[in-house]
Amino acid sequence: MAESSLLANPASRPLFQSFLTLWLMAAAISGCSSAHNRYLLVEESLRTGNVMQADQIVAQAERDYGSTSRVLYRMDRGMTLHLAGRYQESTAILEQAETEVEDLYTRRVRTETKAFLVNDTLLPYEGEPYEQVMVNVLKALNYAEMGSLYEALVEARKIDQRLNGFADQARDKDTYRDDAFARYLTGILYEATGDLDNAFIAYRKAYEAYLRARPWARVTAPSMLQSDLLRVTDALHLHQEHEGYKEAFGETAWQPADQLHHLAHLVVISYNGRAPRKEDQFIDLPISLEALRLVLLTKGTIGASTQDSRVPESFLYGLSGRVVRVALPRLVPQKSQVAYGQVSLIGAGESFTGRTELTQDFSALAAKSLNDRYTQLAIKAVARAAVKYALAQGAGRGAQAAAGRDAGPLVGILVGTLAHALAIGTEESDTRSWRTLPDEIQILRLWVPPGSYELHVRPVGRNGNQGRASMQTVTLESGETTFFIERVMH
Amino acid sequence: MMNKEAPTFLFSIQHTALSFRLWRAVAAVMLSALLVMVAGCGSAAKVTRVDADVVTDLSGRWNDTDSRLVAETMVREALDSPWLGNYTRARGRQPVVVVGTILNRSHDHINVQTFVTDLSRELTNSQKVAFVAGKGEREEIREERREQAIHAREDTQKAPGKEIGADYILKGSISSIPDESDGVKAMFYQVDLEMIDLESNVKSWFGQKKIKKVIERKRVLF
Repeated sequence: MAESSLLANPASRPLFQSFLTLWLMAAAISGCSSAHNRYLLVEESLRTGNVMQADQIVAQAERDYGSTSRVLYRMDRGMTLHLAGRYQESTAILEQAETEVEDLYTRRVRTETKAFLVNDTLLPYEGEPYEQVMVNVLKALNYAEMGSLYEALVEARKIDQRLNGFADQARDKDTYRDDAFARYLTGILYEATGDLDNAFIAYRKAYEAYLRARPWARVTAPSMLQSDLLRVTDALHLHQEHEGYKEAFGETAWQPADQLHHLAHLVVISYNGRAPRKEDQFIDLPISLEALRLVLLTKGTIGASTQDSRVPESFLYGLSGRVVRVALPRLVPQKSQVAYGQVSLIGAGESFTGRTELTQDFSALAAKSLNDRYTQLAIKAVARAAVKYALAQGAGRGAQAAAGRDAGPLVGILVGTLAHALAIGTEESDTRSWRTLPDEIQILRLWVPPGSYELHVRPVGRNGNQGRASMQTVTLESGETTFFIERVMH
Repeated sequence: MMNKEAPTFLFSIQHTALSFRLWRAVAAVMLSALLVMVAGCGSAAKVTRVDADVVTDLSGRWNDTDSRLVAETMVREALDSPWLGNYTRARGRQPVVVVGTILNRSHDHINVQTFVTDLSRELTNSQKVAFVAGKGEREEIREERREQAIHAREDTQKAPGKEIGADYILKGSISSIPDESDGVKAMFYQVDLEMIDLESNVKSWFGQKKIKKVIERKRVLF
């Protein structure tokens, strides 16, 4: 009897609940974000060498990032400030990002539930593991650029701690659990302060990490790292290790540490290209023959699903009520065309040249990171789609029941259609990533007599074409390490 | 006819009731989920003024309380150890001490200057040693003397070469060893200080202070 009275009451709870669901889902639909355009503008500014403008674009977009992407904003801003040479500000904002990542260890049930019912973009962005490591790498470089090598070493220790944490958590030996480039940079920093013990440990870990990640990282241990291992093991009188490396590296050239003591040390770090981006990959699953026909017809008419086709597809599939949509992120590499950087150091009396070597490939790292999480993402996406479908069905049936015998069928169809459309329209994968990172990092280390030099860095393409060289005057001091950062967008 | 139609009619009622119960359950799940979504946990900023001595462990990192407590304890230990009495007896005066470099070898960006200031304060206030300005401060004072030599009245000028050379230098380091697993982080800080005789390089005193902190983070918050 109670059920009958509820059925007959048009203003009953189920109707209210149905509309509340619809309203919330509608509110959760965010239009195609301006993030892609923003990154295009940032990249264009960097391409024309206008780093300050790139930083301004990111700074002005702080609100657009939204509360769930505060970490991402700080990562992007930290990078543009770093490139603009505003190291102190960059460090401060990256410090905030790091603290927030720590705080995000605690998951909030409310947020997780919301994200499960709508999509993963509602979760606060905490960065991929390799991006979290890069926060400390950039901070270390900021301190090194400011001449605070001991502060840079604090970041080196944090990198070690973070990577140890990843290694402890990793169930599979093949997952991202170490970062060869980050290890290598910490080795350079330790050596710059004269701490050869820790430099050796960092170099050795970097070498092992390069070997371990060879199947997927697309980077081999750079020859300069081999020279570093030979030099440091010799200086520390680690004869057994030294002989072992000599045997492994063959003819790799190296100079004893005591021959380098009085020289100035220049480290050229070149950020090449653009980090890969992620985009949505929609999978539409029809659960009836008619729905299959509709999906095929829609795909035939508007082609593959994109952000732009979301609205018409949501409407059509919503009308059908028998299509379930699953969204998963897909990686779009934006490979750098630079093979290496030709570095010339022209002094008053003599000149030195060298080539940068590949030390980090972010496209490979991003692919590995996504691959490691893909199964988990897919399971969650399918479960979400199933729940959304059930909720949409529930909303339609609930509204029909609540609207009464006369208006019920029409209201039910209307609410059901809207609910299904919203279920499909809100389905979106998390395509956020730290896109102001480069595609690759290349490094060159040079030991030269102290003095003033003209430093030229010319990018050389994979096809042999030479790009425009940058020029800067640098003063190098005896026994000191100077870091020089170059941004190449090709 | 009635007999034939009755079961269909009954099945229809049962089916409607069952389906309604089912959808009501779904609606209940939706409502619960929505309540979890909507339930806010508003928090407004609150500022409370506290005494500077109050221990405020917020993040678990090295903080002002650690700096102050370590400086107090270690300087007390240094001044209670035999090297001070031996020196005073042998020379008939208080030793002159300067604070040298305190290296930060920890995992935190520690403002070493506040720790050096805390050490300097404790040493000066102890009245058991004479304490002279450190390297950075000395440069500033010498610059002031050079300025005086040019601009100040002759009878008020301070002559160079009258500085008191330190007998001992206090130097050391702050190190840390972190350990972390499943949201529980243990941070072990070790502060090592040594008093070195500037003439003979003899290490007259070695002090060590350890601090261990455990920081727990909840994995899930409702």
